[in-house]
Amino acid sequence: MIKIFERKQIADGVFFNKITDRRFKLNRISIDLFTEFDDLPRAECALAAYALSECCELYPDYSRLSAALLDLYDASISTSTVSYCGKRCTEIVGGALDDRYALSGEKLENGLASLMCECLFRPKAKNGAFDEKVTAMMKTELIDSIDSIINDKSQLAARNAAKIAYIGEPDEIPPSGSREEAEKVTAKSAYEAYLKILEASRVEIFASGCSDFHETEEIFTREFSRIKRRCTVEKLCCKPSALKEKAAYAEDLFDMKQAILRMYFKAPEMTDRAANLIFSKIIGGMTTSRFFMNIREKQSLCYYCSAYSDRAKRALVCYAGIEPKNKNRTEEAILAELHDICENGITDEELFRAKLELKNQLKAVYDSAGSLANWFMNQLQDEEILAPEEYSELIDGVTKERVRDAARLYKLDTVYTLSGNNSED
Amino acid sequence: MIEKIYDNTIKETCLKYTHPSGTEIYMLPMGNYSSATARFSVKFGSQDNSFRTDGGNFIKIPDGTAHYLEHKLFESEEKDAFSLFAQTGASCNAGTSFDYTQYYFSCTDKFSENLEILLDFVSNPYFTEENVEKERGIIAQEITMYRDNPSWRVFTNLLEAIYEKNPVRLDIAGTVESISQITPKALYDCYNAFYNSSNMSLCVAGNFDPEEVCRICENKLRTGTTVSVETEPFDEPYAVAKKKVSLSMPVAKPIFEIGFKRPAVYGTDEIKDYIYYNILFDMIFGESSEFYEKMREKGLLNDEWAVSVFSGRGHLFPAARGESEKPELILEEMQRIIGKFKKEPPKKELFERVKKATYGSLVRDFNNVSAVASTLAENALSGVQPFAAISETANADYGILIQKLNGLDEENASISIVENSR
Repeated sequence: MIKIFERKQIADGVFFNKITDRRFKLNRISIDLFTEFDDLPRAECALAAYALSECCELYPDYSRLSAALLDLYDASISTSTVSYCGKRCTEIVGGALDDRYALSGEKLENGLASLMCECLFRPKAKNGAFDEKVTAMMKTELIDSIDSIINDKSQLAARNAAKIAYIGEPDEIPPSGSREEAEKVTAKSAYEAYLKILEASRVEIFASGCSDFHETEEIFTREFSRIKRRCTVEKLCCKPSALKEKAAYAEDLFDMKQAILRMYFKAPEMTDRAANLIFSKIIGGMTTSRFFMNIREKQSLCYYCSAYSDRAKRALVCYAGIEPKNKNRTEEAILAELHDICENGITDEELFRAKLELKNQLKAVYDSAGSLANWFMNQLQDEEILAPEEYSELIDGVTKERVRDAARLYKLDTVYTLSGNNSED
Repeated sequence: MIEKIYDNTIKETCLKYTHPSGTEIYMLPMGNYSSATARFSVKFGSQDNSFRTDGGNFIKIPDGTAHYLEHKLFESEEKDAFSLFAQTGASCNAGTSFDYTQYYFSCTDKFSENLEILLDFVSNPYFTEENVEKERGIIAQEITMYRDNPSWRVFTNLLEAIYEKNPVRLDIAGTVESISQITPKALYDCYNAFYNSSNMSLCVAGNFDPEEVCRICENKLRTGTTVSVETEPFDEPYAVAKKKVSLSMPVAKPIFEIGFKRPAVYGTDEIKDYIYYNILFDMIFGESSEFYEKMREKGLLNDEWAVSVFSGRGHLFPAARGESEKPELILEEMQRIIGKFKKEPPKKELFERVKKATYGSLVRDFNNVSAVASTLAENALSGVQPFAAISETANADYGILIQKLNGLDEENASISIVENSR
């Protein structure tokens, strides 16, 4: 029984989730609209998301929308397009102080929910197209954003590696699409994508914070009742990423000094979620992990060497920032750590530490409105919604043997290096 | 004795206890939260690169020493701190800034045990030729990682452009060359000088027992002779060192950062300048400003634009950063607008709107355990009361804002640019 979490359907494929905890000083509202990548063009959807937080009918330019947010004590509204479980998630997130802290008795929660609805349901548009001037500006910013991936070498390495690791799958291509696709977007094509997102998406609204969110629920129920809905996304889960018959190796050269190594291991048959999570912690997910202790601390091969488990894809992603000359040594060291766990298992100490750290993290989920919303959002991938403490019990039951068995399911799929060709400043 | 500091606006009480050694301890209990965070800070950062103790001669230390020391302090003769914290399930880390070093943990269980581990490690250095040498390669990799980061480079270059003498212009981690000179003796010398109780503060927030914190501090903090440490003074000129500095790296669009040099201010004056320049820059260059709207419409700025105030011990200036094909034009336009507002001050209602928003963002910092501990630590390092920023903002005055505007020399500015090398 989860006391603080309530969930109900308010329209076809639209769910209102609320998490009330009076400790918080703010309220957070997120609207996640899920669509299949194949159903709608990527760049159009990405541009539509940009346009939604730029202005709306009521506040027809960014200055006025920003001023309205300032009046709500620096409330925020932002939009993004990300991949979640192999689906496109068009997300609008807003946050505002709770009404208790308004100096002049302003209704901040109501103001935020209403403003988010203005942005989502009444964007600045005419004759079946977004405003031309807004579209032109958003297009420039979308292209800037696509291009700017080279500013962040870790992201660049992740994007390049994903093209190989997830070839033929939704995450082979970035959620916002390519520069070429973005250049072709028109005010009309983006608006059409927006209408389809609004009509056909699976919608998960999360309201979390200290309010009871009655008014917010009413506002969203009323707004969604006004539009025609035909939800086409039933479940928020995806197929595991396919394991290649033979591991793929690739390297790109870039004007940088450090090299970034990314290795992808896959286990399509993985079903033991808790053991898998513990395994990923032990191998590279904590400060006493095998990677940290052996590859960084003992061998001094890198400043960071970590791993995380991508649960939806059943993939283990390892990454390290290294000197280019240490690439082979680091790759071998990563393989050796996995091999050692498969062959010799883990120690009691490692299991104890991983469980303890995870249980601490699970308890801490309750300390932020955002982490609570993210927790319950992630639960929607499964048949059963678990509270953090219920998942903690699953973690407690994991044995060393189960962790070793989880490790043994992983096979090497992709090795990618973004290598520096600049040794001088 | 524990002193209670209450803020009526956000209805929170902070407890202050001064340990006999001089260490100030700020505690904000949030009993109904699951976690607790403790931050142990020392006023020793990268800018403290020349110092003397008890009136002796100044000693120059290699750039990056404070950061190197931070890396090594989480290691004792028997175990490293990470392994010990792993026994309690806490997550721990440390960080070095220009003007301080901070060690911290976060936990949902065994708070007292974790606090003891933290204080033990920071109080008991263990540096050997071998373990200092081992760290050199790791730190060199960290330095290289930051050298590849254009956002970091544009910022550190701006500091070099603004300041001629102030050592805040030096990179926090130093260079691969400078760290090659760091020895166990240098680390001990710095440790003995700076890591003395009167130069440190402890800030705790979340679910913990304040009495227990005081008891642990009584046991763990040393009360011996206090070392008087003094960083070498410098005479920073009024004018910026360079008007412009640029660098070529692979970037999608040139990125830039602009700073308007201000004289150093301390304590309450620092908080005042921080709040007023934040409000001022949000008013005239922020997201709701006419300036930003026009620059975006002309395609000269995009949504990467941000204004802020960079501040710390001995340095403070309002700044702006963004991406643009014509960064220098942005600086010229900012200078023109500051000049224009000096003649025709911005409207008071705009001030009230931004003031309210600034207040809102500060209250939000008191919404989660980690942010509360950070806020307490920042204020303790600045030597001001825990709620100083909130009360300063709630009482901000339009007349003072105009004085701050008039005191800003728009011509005394630097721009740092990272051009696209491709």
